[in-house]
Amino acid sequence: MAGPELLLDSSIRLWVVLPIVFITFFVGILRHYVTQLIHNDKKVDLQQVSDSQVLLRSRILRENGKYLPKQSFAMRKHYFNNPDTGFFKKVKRKVIPKNPMTDPSTLTDMMKGNLTNVLPMILIGGWINWAFSGFVTTKVPFPLTLRFKPMLQRGIELISLDASWVSSASWYFLNVFGLRSMYTLILGQDNAADQSRIMQDQMTGAAMAMPPDPNKAFKSEWEALEIVEHKWALENVEEELMCQDLNFRGLFI
Amino acid sequence: ILSIPELFLLYRFTNYMRDKLRKWREENYRNSEQIVDVGEELINEHASKLGDDIWIIYEQVMIAALDCSRDDLAWSCLQELKRQFPDSHRVKRLAGMRLEALERYEDANKLYDSILQDDPTNTAARKRKISILRAQGKSSEAIRELNEYLEQFVGDQEAWHELSELYINEHDYAKAAFCLEELMMTNPHNHLYCEQYAEVKYTQGGLENLELARKYFAQALKLNNRNMRALFGLYMSASHIAASPKVSAKVKKDNVKYAAWATSQISRAYQMAGRGKKENKCSVKAVEEMLESMQITMS
Repeated sequence: MAGPELLLDSSIRLWVVLPIVFITFFVGILRHYVTQLIHNDKKVDLQQVSDSQVLLRSRILRENGKYLPKQSFAMRKHYFNNPDTGFFKKVKRKVIPKNPMTDPSTLTDMMKGNLTNVLPMILIGGWINWAFSGFVTTKVPFPLTLRFKPMLQRGIELISLDASWVSSASWYFLNVFGLRSMYTLILGQDNAADQSRIMQDQMTGAAMAMPPDPNKAFKSEWEALEIVEHKWALENVEEELMCQDLNFRGLFI
Repeated sequence: ILSIPELFLLYRFTNYMRDKLRKWREENYRNSEQIVDVGEELINEHASKLGDDIWIIYEQVMIAALDCSRDDLAWSCLQELKRQFPDSHRVKRLAGMRLEALERYEDANKLYDSILQDDPTNTAARKRKISILRAQGKSSEAIRELNEYLEQFVGDQEAWHELSELYINEHDYAKAAFCLEELMMTNPHNHLYCEQYAEVKYTQGGLENLELARKYFAQALKLNNRNMRALFGLYMSASHIAASPKVSAKVKKDNVKYAAWATSQISRAYQMAGRGKKENKCSVKAVEEMLESMQITMS
């Protein structure tokens, strides 16, 4: 839908586009420092760390056990899976179901996260929408369908206007995500102004920390280990080695 | 006041040194004298250009200074770090390491205990305490503490390696082999662990262990063709198996074949080593004679 090109007043560029960029940028940097101020180190539970390492060891045994001699592999499998004395059979952890509503530490963490990230975004988005409303700000370089119109053209009630022309609120949101790499450049990796990383963290966070029920994890690991057979990778290593001369390149300078 | 090209060169030099330090840090080099030389100059002359990197460089240089008995440098680095990070456990650990270097083990232990009281999961402090036991020569206690540590932190590879060394010193080869197996499991492509494991098995002796040793020497060679130690180990284990009276004829034949192959590779290596150099002819001959004398003749 390449309608007639609109010519925008250049003062829009000066007084709308650029200010929004600066506002977003500085709010992001502010968020980063505020998060650092009110951030407190998570206390790690010794038991959880230990358990997660045990599970990792069992997984490595399954994957790389073939490099060990048969007896060593059997000894370790026995240690884990023996019906009477095996680790996964014997060890039962007390599981306290962590209700996110009542557990105080997660509650404060959630609140802090909301405060520093969601709240400013809503506030400033709303303010920009109010302050810079009623006119078209910019055009996105690719064509969009009509369904994007109500979302991107808040405050502009024109039915015939191309959906590529967007309002200042959408320019603001574009900036929030676009300035991510700028933050990395200036604040270094791992900065708290990086919104999308935070959202990503919330999804992968479950994989990193111990799953809330270690007993279930133990059981599934037990099952996985039971079915693993030992196929020694070194069975024919001499034949494989000796079929050609050794390559000494780089040994002598 | 430096001119523009001089400033540019200075900038390049600082960056180059900084990258070198980072490489040594990330790959765990222990070239302490070099680190002290480079680091001291960077800190004294170019501190302003390092930015926030300076803190980690202070830590790196301090540890290197302790290695070189440069207590003056270590103390000044520690002071700077203490000023910037007053309540840090990491800095406390460095202070403890300095006490260890001065052989004030009691004070160091007290410091580490205070860290552990505050944070029971702090692995660095626990490992330093074990190092103190080792420095004091209390091997059995060190072994016991290390075992307890590993029960909780099964994944700590550095600790497994340290434990294997302790067991080797105590001649407890079976347990050392167990530790090395853990390392091989987690690092299947590391030829050095295979080679060390093979050496332990070879030391244990007995037909089964010699076979395992031969296999793992071969694996080490497969992972890294240039591991001469593994090549010699392959030759030795194959020769010993071939010479043993208890083996079947087929096993004997196979092992003689392996030993012969190893011999040819060793000769090749020595010939390549000194191509064209006159003295080399002597060393090649010496190697051949050595191999012949070691060769246990078939009866």
